[in-house]
Amino acid sequence: MEGRPREERDLVLLAQGGDARAYEQLVRAHQEIAFRVAYVITRNPADAQDAAQEGVVKAWRALGRFRAGEPLRPWLLRIVANEARNRVRSTGRRDRLAVRAAGAVSSGEAAPSPEDAVLDADRRRTLLAALEELPAEAREILACRYLLELSEDETGAVLGLRPGTVKSRTARALDRLREAYGPRT
Amino acid sequence: MDLARELSGLAGHVDWPPTPELRLTLEPAPARRRRGGRPLALVLAVAVLLALAVAFAVPQSRAAILRFLHLGAVTIERVDRLPAAPARPLTAGIGPVVSLDRARRAFDGPLLVPPLDPPPPAHLLRGDTVSFVFSYRGEPVLLNEWEFGDGFLKKLASGGTSVEGAGVDGSPGLWVSGAVHDVFFPGVSPRLAGNVLIWERNGATYRLEGRSLTKADAVSLARSLTRG
Repeated sequence: MEGRPREERDLVLLAQGGDARAYEQLVRAHQEIAFRVAYVITRNPADAQDAAQEGVVKAWRALGRFRAGEPLRPWLLRIVANEARNRVRSTGRRDRLAVRAAGAVSSGEAAPSPEDAVLDADRRRTLLAALEELPAEAREILACRYLLELSEDETGAVLGLRPGTVKSRTARALDRLREAYGPRT
Repeated sequence: MDLARELSGLAGHVDWPPTPELRLTLEPAPARRRRGGRPLALVLAVAVLLALAVAFAVPQSRAAILRFLHLGAVTIERVDRLPAAPARPLTAGIGPVVSLDRARRAFDGPLLVPPLDPPPPAHLLRGDTVSFVFSYRGEPVLLNEWEFGDGFLKKLASGGTSVEGAGVDGSPGLWVSGAVHDVFFPGVSPRLAGNVLIWERNGATYRLEGRSLTKADAVSLARSLTRG
């Protein structure tokens, strides 16, 4: 809990007391990551939006059972991920993750890290393509850990895994990706 | 290059679809309003302050306010030690008794009245704060009502005194219980207060106080109040 803004606990308390505006503030803080988690699972923007929206509404209804003081994000992401998985089962459409066009930098993005600096656009595309070819289980765990930068606990919440299992499956998924991408590493 | 680091470097370059604005189909939050022309300073001046003692181990020289929480016309502040205040009757500082009609005229919003026949006497403080003191399950209970307030949230500290969410029929509320706290009405000497339910509805703020009130009883009592 260290480092988490204490305001979240206040907003949760108010939301649990029925303050929809407090809940909307909480959702705004997490809606991007919630949508992206849903997208990683559904691979379809419309399904991801539906899953994220339905997830936050279900979370609102379940908020009375949430323990104030716990981090909200993994709890919310778990609910959204469950909604996303339900939509994967009901639809067959899939998109693929792509690398942004060169020069397209999102607002507020930090300066490129040294690792970024040595990854040219072609290399990124190749790496992402290799990731996309992995089975869903390996692809999703790597996307959660590295593309969405979720913690092991959050990844476990999203994928329904214990943190220890997240660690071992991440290692195995990296091995599989290394096999596919190996010649370049 | 290490593959995990290379993947991390990829994170900022993924072409994610634009994040949509999630539209929540929640029940509408109560509309907040302030009486036309009432200056903000006055609104803030009449806010009720609950100073919660949370850490008696802190040296007395440190009386700094730790955190705030606002709901409607009520501001809760966490302090590290409780300012001195006596225990006084619930009727202290709530103004003279007025007729129910006078209270209704003073209160533009939905005045709530305890479900008793006849209703208990109404008190009016400064022309805009209506209160009732009545007996509930053999214990005295105080109901305060303000029909203005600019509820905004700042901060709330954790500590010994419990403050938790407590909705009343969909209206946002807070339940303050445990250790006694100080309550300050504007222009009135502070006093110690017991358990309190605060909620906000249609721009009005309501407060139920009773030393032996439980949260369930307070919410039940709040729901039973009738529009006067």
